[in-house]
Parts: sequence; C-alpha cells; structure tokens
Amino acid sequence: MKLFTHYNRVNLLTTIIVLFITGAIYYGAISYILNHQVDKDIRTEEAETLDYIKEHNTLPEAIDSKYLTVTYLQVNQPVERRFSNADFYNKKEGEKESGRALITSAVVNGRIYQVTISESKVETEDLIRIVFGITIGVILFLLLVLFITNRFILNRIWKPFYGTLHQLRAFSLNDGNDVSAQPSKIDEFNELNQAVEHMSARVKRDYKDLKAFTENASHELLTPIAVINSKMDSLIQTGEYNEQQSKLLDDVYDAVSRLTRLNQSLLLLVKIENKLVTDNEIIHLKPLIEEKISEFKELFHDKQLVFTCEMTDKQVTTSRYLIEILLNNLLSNAMRHNYQNGEINVLLTNTKLMIQNTGTENALPQNEIYKRFNKSASSEGTGLGLTICKQICDNYGYQLNYSYDTLYHSFTILFNQQ
Amino acid sequence: MKILIIEDEPGLLESIEDYFTEAGNVCETATDYHSAIAKVSLYSYDCILLDITLPDGNGLNILKYLKEHNKTDGVLIISAKNSLDDKLQGLDLGADDYLVKPFHLSELKARVTAIIRRKAFSGSNVLIFNEINIDLQAKEVKVNNQPIKFTRKEYALLLYFFANKGKVVSKNAIAEHLWGDAADMADNFDFIYSHVKNVRKKLEEAGSKDYIKAAYGMGYKLADI
Repeated sequence: MKLFTHYNRVNLLTTIIVLFITGAIYYGAISYILNHQVDKDIRTEEAETLDYIKEHNTLPEAIDSKYLTVTYLQVNQPVERRFSNADFYNKKEGEKESGRALITSAVVNGRIYQVTISESKVETEDLIRIVFGITIGVILFLLLVLFITNRFILNRIWKPFYGTLHQLRAFSLNDGNDVSAQPSKIDEFNELNQAVEHMSARVKRDYKDLKAFTENASHELLTPIAVINSKMDSLIQTGEYNEQQSKLLDDVYDAVSRLTRLNQSLLLLVKIENKLVTDNEIIHLKPLIEEKISEFKELFHDKQLVFTCEMTDKQVTTSRYLIEILLNNLLSNAMRHNYQNGEINVLLTNTKLMIQNTGTENALPQNEIYKRFNKSASSEGTGLGLTICKQICDNYGYQLNYSYDTLYHSFTILFNQQ
Repeated sequence: MKILIIEDEPGLLESIEDYFTEAGNVCETATDYHSAIAKVSLYSYDCILLDITLPDGNGLNILKYLKEHNKTDGVLIISAKNSLDDKLQGLDLGADDYLVKPFHLSELKARVTAIIRRKAFSGSNVLIFNEINIDLQAKEVKVNNQPIKFTRKEYALLLYFFANKGKVVSKNAIAEHLWGDAADMADNFDFIYSHVKNVRKKLEEAGSKDYIKAAYGMGYKLADI
C-alpha cells in the first residue's frame, strides 16, 4: 500500500468518525434545545388551561390544531404530571409525526380530569435532517479534495523520492555512476538523498578498496611465486634424486603451478571486472573454436573422449584475449569433469554457443556454480573458471546458462542481437 | 652469447643467472634503473632480460633509450603486470618478446634462444646437434639427412629440448609451453609422457641415439651421451 493511500485511509476514517460524532452532538444539542422550547410552549398552554379552569370553573374547549392538541379525560385518580415523547397525529396531513406530550390532571367541580397537551416536533426533525445532509455533504467534499490532493499535489511532492528510489534500484557497484538525487524543497527528502549519496559513495569506496586489495595482494604474491618457481627449476638441475625426493619435488611443482594459476585467475578477474580489457575486434568464432579444439586434441585423446561439433559461421565483436579465455575455461571444464570414454559436443549457431559434456549424474546447483571458489571437492581447478566466464559474458551482454538433462551438462552462451 | 639481466628481485636474478651461465655464455646483471642504463650505454648484448618494474624507474624507459641510440640488442620483457597495454607498449618500443611472471626458467631460456637466433641469423638457420638437424625455416627435422615427420606439438617439444640442452625440463614447464592455459589439468602428465615417447621413438627409428632422458620422474633432459 502506498504511503499516501495508507495516510488517506487513516485520515478519511478519522475525519468521518469525527464528523459523525459532531453530527451526533449537534443532534443531541438541537433536540435538547427544541424539546426545551416545545416543553415551554406546552407549559404555557397548561398554565393557560389551569388559569381558565380556576377562573371559569369549567374545562376549556379541547384544542385540535395543526401543531397542538389538548384533550381531557375523566379519571378516578389524579395522574402524576409528566412529560413524554409521543406520536402526534396530524389530522390535516393524515399522518403520524413525532411529538411531545404533557400529561397532567386538573380538578373541575370535584371531578378529576387528565389533561393531555401534545405538540408536533416535525420542525425539529427537519432541522436534524439538514444537519445530517450537511455532514454527509462535507464528507463527500472532503473525499473529493483528498482525491485531488493525492492525484496532483502529493504525486508532485513525492517525485524526488521516486527519483531517488529509481537511482537506488539502478545502483550497481561495477558501473561508475554515482547516485545523484535532485534537490527537493522537502527537508526529509533532502536528508534521505544526502544519506543515500553518502552511503553509495562509501559503499563504492569500500568495494574499490577491497578490489584494490585483491589486486595488490595478487600482485605482491607474483614475485615470491616467481622466485619459488625459478628456485625449483634451479633445484632440479643440481643432481640426482631418488624416487622419494622426486615425488616431493613433483608435489611442490604442482602446488606452485596451482598457486600461479589461482593468482593469475584472480588478477584476470579483477581486470575483467574493472573492464580493463578493451581491445575489441571482430572475431570469427568457428575458426577460433577449431583452433582451440586442435589445441585440446591431445587432451581429449588422453581421456578417449568422443568429440562432435556442429558449427555455422558466427562473428562477434569482443576481445580475442577474453574470448579465448572463455573458450578455454568452458572446454577444459567439459573435459575435466568428464569420464573416460565420455562425450563432448559443441554446437555453434548464429544465436548461441553450446558446449555439452557427459559427467556426473547430478545437476550442478545453478546458483552456486558461478560463485568464486565454488568447485567440486575432487576438482583440481581454481574454482574461478566459471566466475571468469560469467564475468566475461556479463561484460559483453551475453547470457551464460547451465542446464542438465539425463546425461549431458550443457553450458550455453546466448549472444545478444548485435 | 652475452646477456644482461635487469631484475630487482635478488632471488629471481640469481636463479636466472645460474640457469644461463654455461660454457660460452656471459651473464651480467643490473638491479636498478641507473646501473642498467650505465651498462646498456657502455656495452652491447645479444639479449637483455628486462624487468619493467624497477625501484628507481620504469623499465620501458630503458627500451626508449635503446631505441634512441639505435642499439640492436635483443630485449625480452619480464613483467609482473599481465597487462595487454604494457605488452603492446613494450613491443611497440622495440622489445622482441614479453614474458609474464611467474615463469619457468626453461621457458625463459627457450624465448631468449629464439630471440638471439633471430638476431644472429636473420631468421633462417639450422640447428645441429650431433646427427640431428633442424631446419627452423622449413620446420624440418632430419637425422642423418633423413627427414622425420613430426606433429606440430612434437616439433615444438623437440625445439624446447634443444633450447634447454643439458637442463632438466620439468613436466609442468613442458605442459605450459605446449598447451598454455589448457595445461590447467593436473592429471595430464601422462600425455606428456606419451608425447616425449613418440619424439624419442621417431628419432631412434631414424637412426639417432636416444638423447632425451627421463629425469627422475620430474621431467626430461636432452643431453649428449
């Protein structure tokens, strides 16, 4: 529910309740005053009647006018004098109206009479009707006014808020755009904008620092790794080693080369994320993939993999460096996570590139695979390969999808329409 | 051949120096920009190994200096920056090749050998090792004048061994040299074994002696018997 819908609803409800209460008070007050007035009239009439009886010692003529009736009835005992609300029968109009009556008693020549003086209250009712009419009119008018305010004024007042909201939605750590909200006349929005600008700047700075840290750390690691590598190369020149020593040296070599790859992958990732690779050119994918496949030939052969491919000509405008990394990573994954005598299929059309491979019998978790350092326990990879693939695809607006159906794991790159 | 190594990291400098120092080679070293400039202005080298991140100056300026003074020393850039811009800029300034840290010494040796060969013989020459004869231009290997058919990878492997004659070349270095990024797989050393085996078999069948020996399971070594 929007803020002003909510606000209006509460506002309207209170207003209506208050107006009804006011109406009720009006009603009470007016009917009290009018009753009082009517009672006064009736009392005057009573006094006149009693005076008449005292003077003439006989009952006056019964009155039966449009608004007032006086009737006499002989009774055995004197009745208690009391006012009551009673219907008033308007003979002229032939209908019952609400009225007020006084019942009292008078003694004429030793006989007791009950005197009933009643008066119509129809005017009072009319007044009350008018009061209600006005109340309802005011409520309807209020609704109309609120609707208009909502529609035209509130929307305008809230405009800067929606502007800020839009910018926040579009906020991304990777692009260079800062959140810059339009100034508003409303203090709260200005405060919000300030806070948002402040926060986005801080988040960006922190993120940049973190990335710079990753980059610097990886960079600083390069030299010691280079030293270890060269020392290892020198060490194996120094003499004869027995089997046990060779095994140890071999293990160190493997560890160093993994460390190297990990480090290079991290540096590469930072570079892609910062969009520092900009040497875009037109690449013909088909020959490039063929070249890659021939590079991988010995490796496919080693695992006895059956390789099929179906390709049409497709041009993309990308960095050769990045597209090679993308293909390398996808193909080496297809091979690494395959089994002996497995299959790899490559399909290239004008709209997509699909690389399929046989492998484990379970689908990979769709959301997890692109995360950094997410890899199967048995994998010798860096855990960054797919993260890099995803990042490259993101940079060029390609979509990288994964699917699994009973045998094949497929990675599909959907090219954007260029 | 005469080589100048410009590198500020002493550990790395020492290893490179050790690896390159052999009969017929002279290695000189410089650890900072100013001593490097002093050396290149006084002498000329067959190849300069240049680290472009030096404590007191940018190594690229040394390249500029060489260019300005019309020096024809071969230059191989060693850099911790795997950046395309740096690479292009270095090659633009007249560097012959570019190698990113960390690297295998055998890879460095192969690259330096290639540079020196290009400089010395203007790109056309024949490598001779006993009865083995490699025509680099025709990419042809002959044993006792009998040509052998090698695949592209086998040929590259043989050249790699030639450049690192007398040195143990690790399996990792071979994998990275031949397959580059694709060498990411740790379970792939068997196919290196089969590649080396093929090369040895082809050479032996053509009547060559078996010069390539397995070095205690870590790698291989091409050496005179």
